[in-house]
Amino acid sequence: MNHAASKNLNLTLKIWRQAGPKQSGGLKTYQVSGISTDMSFLEMLDVLNEQLIASGEEPVAFDHDCREGICGTCGVVINGQAHGPDSGTTTCQLHMRRFHDGDTIVIEPWLAKAFPIVRDLIVDRSAFDRIIQAGGFVSVNTGNAPEANTTLVPHHVQQDAMNAAACIGCGACVASCKNASAMLFVSAKVSHLASLPQGQAERSKRVLNMVATMDAEHFGNCTNTGECEAACPAKIKLTNIAQLNREYMKAALLSKE
Amino acid sequence: MGVTGLLLCGFLVAHLAGNLLLFMGAKPFNEYAHALHSQWELLAVAEFGLVVLFLAHVYLAVATTIGNYRARRDFYVLKQSKVPGRIIGANSWMFASGSVVLGFVILHLIDLRLGLRSSLQYLPETDLEAPFKNTLAAISDPISRVVYFVGVIVLGVHLSHGFASAFQSLGLNHPKYTPLIKIIGKIFGVIIAVGFASIVVFVPGMWR
Ligand code: SF4
Ligand code: FES
Repeated sequence: MNHAASKNLNLTLKIWRQAGPKQSGGLKTYQVSGISTDMSFLEMLDVLNEQLIASGEEPVAFDHDCREGICGTCGVVINGQAHGPDSGTTTCQLHMRRFHDGDTIVIEPWLAKAFPIVRDLIVDRSAFDRIIQAGGFVSVNTGNAPEANTTLVPHHVQQDAMNAAACIGCGACVASCKNASAMLFVSAKVSHLASLPQGQAERSKRVLNMVATMDAEHFGNCTNTGECEAACPAKIKLTNIAQLNREYMKAALLSKE
Repeated sequence: MGVTGLLLCGFLVAHLAGNLLLFMGAKPFNEYAHALHSQWELLAVAEFGLVVLFLAHVYLAVATTIGNYRARRDFYVLKQSKVPGRIIGANSWMFASGSVVLGFVILHLIDLRLGLRSSLQYLPETDLEAPFKNTLAAISDPISRVVYFVGVIVLGVHLSHGFASAFQSLGLNHPKYTPLIKIIGKIFGVIIAVGFASIVVFVPGMWR
């Protein structure tokens, strides 16, 4: 990246403003100028907020924590795309060099019945936490570490589990899905543990409980459009959803739980 | 949804194979129809099964669509796909395309299963020529001809997503076979659409 090429942008932002969960919201237009192309998207919002605070207006509420693509809190819909135009990228890792001088950028919160808006761009994603809780624990023996070669995990299986474990729980899959389905998220969690020896003891119970909670939280049904996979910053694959379907059918038909 | 859809695909293959006999003329088609009808016990079971499958497919579609609509609840002011190259795909229109196909199937049943169109001059079932003549009458009728044509083309679009989607829903995703299943799904959609459409386009002109 050639830093000498950094430029300054003047942008028009149309941002969803909503004072609280019960209030009605709408897009509000703001101008920002002198935005460096080296800034991240959230830094651009910081600039806007300083501008708003200086003029006595309420700053735009948005969620963020790590700003390095691992915590999963920062998701917003940018010009109609969850986490913006780049694939495999969170909002905090999106850079302003992806935009051009004079652009208009529409910024909306995740929308889904299961993710009620808290304020402005912040939504309540605790439905995901409840799904995770429903998944329960894994039974692991305490005591001395077992001999490493007693439980062999082939490299490709370990890779699949690791790839599924990469899900950061951001909710972009739900936000980008026309059905607001959480199947990609749940499938990542279920596939991750179902692939490993540690996950075997509670394998059936876990998938049944997580799917039941997913439905109870009012997420929609998967119709295999693949929008989630394209929006996912952790590049979770649709093959996990097929695996979830297999795990679920097997547990529903054959397990005693 | 996937199970009922795939089983209905099986019916489509048999139905298309039988109907392509229309290109061979009255005799082969009538013989085929009479052979089919002579097995009336089996036919009754098959027809009943087909109705159950079809209604189950429609019921599941309506139930999932309502559930999904409620789950989505709010729509974005601006929405763009992140799937590379996708502007608008068959996958987003399954309910709409399914509804068009349902409308077509209803007319098709009125025309040829129930024989209720007063504008068509049906031969009585006892007439040996009835299967061919009645089919020809229906697909020569301008309204039916257009509706059938649109119906089967939209059906092809429906299948181009539905076929492969059913496998994924059933958990049948495999690095070796899934790309093939996707291609077969598209080809299947084209074959069904072109196969049935060719009948309404060419057959009325061939046997005037
Ligand atoms: S599957 Fe991907 S998009 Fe969905 S919550 Fe996990 S990281 Fe986010
Ligand atoms: S702020 Fe943590 S992933 Fe973006």
